Amino acid sequence: MLQVNSLSKTFSGFRAVKDTSLEVKKGEIVAVIGPNGAGKTTLFNLITGILKPDSGQVLFKGKDITGLSPHVICKTGMSRSFQVVNVFQRLTVFENVQVAVLAKEKKTWNLFTPSKKLVIDETNRTLESVGLIDKQNNISGALSHGDRKVLEIAIALGGSPEFLILDEPTAGMSPEETARCIELIRHLSKKMGLTILFCEHDMELVFSISNRIMVMVRGASIIQGSCEEVRSNEAVQEAYLGGDATC
Amino acid sequence: MDFIYSIIPPSILCQIFVGLSRTVILFIVSSGMSLILGVLRIPNVFHGSLYMIGAFLAYTITTVCAGSPFGFWLALIISPLVVALIGLAIERGLFQYLYESEHLMLILFTFAFSLVLGDIVKFIWGADYKSVPVPLIFQGFVSLFGGLPFPVYNLFLLAVGPIVAFFLWFLVNKTKIGKIAKAAAVDREMVGAVGINVSWVFAIVFVIGCLLAGLGGALMAPTISVTLGMDHTIIIEAFLIVIIGGLGNMWGALLGALIFGLTQSLGILLWPQFGIIFPYLAVVVVLLIRPTGILKSTW
Amino acid sequence: MLKDLLTSKKIILLITGIILLLLLPVVLPLFMQARFYIYLVSLILVSGLFATSLNFVLGFGGIYQFHHGVFYGIGAYAAALMLLKSGLPSWVGFIAGPVVSAILSLIMGLICLRLSKLYFGMLQVSLGSLVWAVVYRWRSFTGGEDGIHGIPIPELISSPTGAYYFTFIVSAVCFFIIYKMINAPFGSVLQGIRDNAIRSEMIGVNVKRHQLAALIIAGFFAGVAGVLFVVVDNSVFPDMLFWTLSMEVMIMCLLGGWHIFIGPLTGAALMILFRTFIGTFTIYWAFIQGIILMIIIFFLPSGVLGYFERKMKPTDKVLKA
Repeated sequence: MLQVNSLSKTFSGFRAVKDTSLEVKKGEIVAVIGPNGAGKTTLFNLITGILKPDSGQVLFKGKDITGLSPHVICKTGMSRSFQVVNVFQRLTVFENVQVAVLAKEKKTWNLFTPSKKLVIDETNRTLESVGLIDKQNNISGALSHGDRKVLEIAIALGGSPEFLILDEPTAGMSPEETARCIELIRHLSKKMGLTILFCEHDMELVFSISNRIMVMVRGASIIQGSCEEVRSNEAVQEAYLGGDATC
Repeated sequence: MDFIYSIIPPSILCQIFVGLSRTVILFIVSSGMSLILGVLRIPNVFHGSLYMIGAFLAYTITTVCAGSPFGFWLALIISPLVVALIGLAIERGLFQYLYESEHLMLILFTFAFSLVLGDIVKFIWGADYKSVPVPLIFQGFVSLFGGLPFPVYNLFLLAVGPIVAFFLWFLVNKTKIGKIAKAAAVDREMVGAVGINVSWVFAIVFVIGCLLAGLGGALMAPTISVTLGMDHTIIIEAFLIVIIGGLGNMWGALLGALIFGLTQSLGILLWPQFGIIFPYLAVVVVLLIRPTGILKSTW
Repeated sequence: MLKDLLTSKKIILLITGIILLLLLPVVLPLFMQARFYIYLVSLILVSGLFATSLNFVLGFGGIYQFHHGVFYGIGAYAAALMLLKSGLPSWVGFIAGPVVSAILSLIMGLICLRLSKLYFGMLQVSLGSLVWAVVYRWRSFTGGEDGIHGIPIPELISSPTGAYYFTFIVSAVCFFIIYKMINAPFGSVLQGIRDNAIRSEMIGVNVKRHQLAALIIAGFFAGVAGVLFVVVDNSVFPDMLFWTLSMEVMIMCLLGGWHIFIGPLTGAALMILFRTFIGTFTIYWAFIQGIILMIIIFFLPSGVLGYFERKMKPTDKVLKA
């Protein structure tokens, strides 16, 4: 579904991503792991169009989407959540997701129909699937961190994507919240048939839900393979798992 | 010399020099603004009021010392200092509590101060036009460029410009406070983390910026009639200069002031009625080509 | 339940307000010299519309529209010049005002929107000052620094009462339209962009294009306000597009509360009343205005209405961003 061919990005001399390739097939859950600063978020930003790559190519569903604007890429069925909580602070939980649904339904140019009357069912369905339905009238800025991270995913789901990119979905969550989030990701993959690409520091989570893992170190992909392959790979152990046990 | 005149007529050459001396004032004022903008990230609207206060103070001092040859020099020293003190009081008294708030709030706050300071000036000096005499040694004209008269005071301004520019360069690049300020402009938290009291660095930068505004006002005073409302014009000009130069970039301010000063003086020669429009047009042209200014901004 | 009660209360308030404003020119003369007060209320409506149009992009759109006054002034000038010089029917002039403002807004938006936040605002101030300089200097066409006075207004709306009713009806319609837009998907998206532009882009919103549309709309309604000013005051002057006026309008929005629809109108009313009544006692109105502004920034950052709203329902809507 997604194919990334030798993508590179340099920030004023610092090569954040170098010559990275990656393929994600329909229905898969693929994890990207690596120490802090390995270029995971940059890679995601390149794929979703927030940054333009210096070289390389991104193909999504066979179409070249390299260097397109984020909103164009989004319309092709790709959606993402952010590492740092990135919700619409002053809007309610409901409105947060509703905006995403409205955008997807191309209703953002509607000037006069009250929003209150539009896309309620779709929004509620999304809220229900992530378990935020009882909190729908809360202002999102006042939610707990864990809820905001979930809302983060809910907004991404609001655009009914086929392909979902999650940037550290469980960062800063409590163990219970993490467990809930793992359930959610499983549910999204199994029940809703989404293809998921995510990055995460929580190794347990990574090994428990992903089909394949890519390891990034200093901007480059050093291995891609199944959980076992990655776990037993020496280079990984040295560069990452063993060498930098804190992750 | 004649060769030069054959390319550029003396009248234009003369106007260029007038423009350059105007550039000096614009540079002094806008570099102060740029400094504050670069380090503190505040577009300081009352910067213009400080400039106006500098000019009015120069008026008072020269009036008190009328007849003495030192009046002007005293004004040149005292008015920037007083203005700097006002700046310090505002910064320490109120401003330092607002650095965390939104930009919009900060701007409106500085605007509130420009209203207050404007009325204080009206209260102290009244609404009449005031004129500051050109100091004796700079009175009169010299003949430059094929005999066209050129005010001596403007020659003095032309000499002041490079001195101020040098001081600023020295301050920013060679002194400790300048280096810290530069670092703080890029990454405030980092500077705080290494144990430097950022708050005071900000205060010092702010005060230096205000000092420059006051100096600009005092230098400008003898060439214009000092009046209420001069704050409104200069602030827009300084804003524009800082924008086309690149926010927070000192040399950008110099470049911007040059563009502004020259287009202004030549524009008046070209089309007297719409002379004031040319600098604005220059700004638009520059920004169409380089939206974030000519030189790299510190933002 | 409570919410329903609240909205019905709001509706009652709204209807009472409308009836009071409609009856004003009839009732007021019974008690006092009405002419001035009718003029004052008209002015409040005009400034309120002006501030509300700014708030559409500022408070709800999060765009740093620092020089909104340009669109107000240009709208007024366009209408005034059409009325004075074109010889076309006056309604053409009334429409020309907002249209010219919207076009100017489009042009300035295209240039300024390449930048964001503060840069946007400062660039807008520069371009606006350019427009101001042209109006200020083009003596033969715009009247220069004196402006234009004694603009011919159609007879029906030329009396203070006529002007009042005209202003009231037009501004009421405009308020209604803006209110509708804020609550429609476009408004929701706009608020989304305000809160988080990158995220909006990521859910498939073309941020720049929506911002541009919002700017054009805001410019248009500022133009309407400008035209109404011409009707009420029969004059235009270059100060209408000077940057200090733009700042003052921002103060109005802040004073009333810029996350609430009627905040700017409230702010405009308070500000004009203050100015009128304090202005009779002192020539240092600007000083007082500055102090008021500082007090709001320090103590009431969400405005007067925001403050009351929070007092009444502490958990709801009002939240510091």
